[in-house]
Amino acid sequence: MMEKSFDDSMHRYGRAFSAVAIVLMLLVPVFVAFYFKTTPNMRGLLAGLASICLIYLPSSIVEVVTYAPMLGTGATYLAFITGNLTNLKIPCAMSAREIVGTEFGTKENEIVSTLSVAVSSLVTCGVLAIGVLLLVPLTPVLSSPVLQPAFSMVVPALFGALGYKYFSKTPLVAVAPFVSMVLLCLLVPAAASQVAVLVPVSAVISIAVARLLYKKGKI
Amino acid sequence: MNSFLQMANSGTMYLIVGVVILFVTVMAIVFMVKAWREGIKIGMDKKKMRKAITASATFTLVPSVGILIGVIALAGSLGVPVPWLRLSVIGALHYETMAADVAAKAAGLPALAAEYMTGEAFVSIIAVMTVGIIWGAIFCIFGLKKYQSKVLNKVGKKDDRWGNIMFNAMFVGMVCAFIGAGFADLRKGSITSIVVIAVAAAFMALFSWLIDKKGQKWLESFSLSFAMVLGMGASVVMGLLGVK
Repeated sequence: MMEKSFDDSMHRYGRAFSAVAIVLMLLVPVFVAFYFKTTPNMRGLLAGLASICLIYLPSSIVEVVTYAPMLGTGATYLAFITGNLTNLKIPCAMSAREIVGTEFGTKENEIVSTLSVAVSSLVTCGVLAIGVLLLVPLTPVLSSPVLQPAFSMVVPALFGALGYKYFSKTPLVAVAPFVSMVLLCLLVPAAASQVAVLVPVSAVISIAVARLLYKKGKI
Repeated sequence: MNSFLQMANSGTMYLIVGVVILFVTVMAIVFMVKAWREGIKIGMDKKKMRKAITASATFTLVPSVGILIGVIALAGSLGVPVPWLRLSVIGALHYETMAADVAAKAAGLPALAAEYMTGEAFVSIIAVMTVGIIWGAIFCIFGLKKYQSKVLNKVGKKDDRWGNIMFNAMFVGMVCAFIGAGFADLRKGSITSIVVIAVAAAFMALFSWLIDKKGQKWLESFSLSFAMVLGMGASVVMGLLGVK
C-alpha cells in the first residue's frame, strides 16, 4: 500500500513540475522576441522545427521507453527535464546503483536513482553556474588546442569504461550486439551519427540474445 | 563585441534564462528530499543513500566540465545565457550544437556565427532548440504512468530474474551502440576514439582489480571518473604526438 502511494506521489510531482518547466522553457523564445523587438522568421522556424522534430520526436519517445525502467518513476521525470541523458544521467544512475548494490525494480533502487539523478543535476547546474561566472578567465585554458581533443572524447571515454564493467559481467550477452554494432559502423560510418537509432536496435539484439541464453539456462 | 552579442549577453537575457534554471534546480531539490525521506521511511541504510549521493556527485564532476565546454563552444555564436540554459535544462551537447546549426541554416544564415546573426534568426534558433527537445518530457507527462502499469509492472511481477537480466541486457546494448559508433571514426582515418575507448576500459579493468583483489574500496566512487579522465588524457597525448 505504502509503495503505491510513494509512486503515485512521484507521478503527481513529476507531472506538475515537468509541465511548469516546459511552459517556462517555451516562454523563453517569446520573451527573447520581445526583448529583441522582433518576430521569428516563420519560414525558417518551421523548416528548422520540421527537420529537428522528425528525428527527435520519435527518438525521445524511444528514449523514455528504454530508460524509464532503468531509472524508475521520479528519476525519469527529473532526467527528462534536466537532460544530458545518455552522456551523463543514465551512466550516473547506473554507477550509483552499482556502488550501492541495489536491484532493478526495487524501491531502494527507485530511491537511489532519484537521489543520483537529482544530485547529478544539481552538480551540473553548479558547475555550469560557476563556469559561466568564471567563463572569461577560463576560456583560454579550456579552449586551448592542446586540451580540445579531450573534450570531444568524453563519450568514448565514458563508454569504454562502462563497457568493461558491463561486458565483464555478462560477456555472453555482449558479444552479438558488440560485433553487430562495430561491423555496422565500420561498413556504414554514417550510422554512427544516428546513435539515437542505434541504441534501441542494439538493445533489442542484446535482449534477444539474453532471452535465448536465459531460456537455455546459460545465464 | 558586435551589437548582437552585446544584447545576447545582457543582464535581461541572464534574467530570462535564470528563472528557468532556478525552477529546475528547485525541482531537483524537491525530488532529492522526497527520495531521501522515503528512504528513511522504509528503513533504508542512511550510509547507502549518502554513498549514492557522493558517488553521483563525483561521477558528475568530470562530464559537467565537458558540458561547460559545450557552453563555451556555443557562446561565441549565441552568447553565454542561451547555451547555458539549453545545456542545464533538457538539452545535451551533441543535440544543441546540431539543432542550433540546423535552425541557423533554416533561418537563412550562411553559418552559425555571431557575425551573421540577426534578432529574427536568434529567436528562431532558440525556438527550434527548445521545441525540438521537449518531446521526452511531454511523453513522460502523458504516457509514463500508463507505460509503467501496462508494460513494466507485468514483466517485474511475472519473473523477477528475467526482468533483471533484461534491463542489464538493454544497458549492454546501449554501451555497444556507443562503442560501435566510436569505430566509425576508423573509416574517417582517426584512431583516437578507439584508443580512448581502449584506454578507459583498460584503466577500468585495473581499478576493478584493485577494488576486488587488493581491497582498495575507496576507489569505487572514483574508478569511473578516473578511467574517463585517463581515457580523455590519452587523446591529448595522441594530439601532442601528432597521431590522429
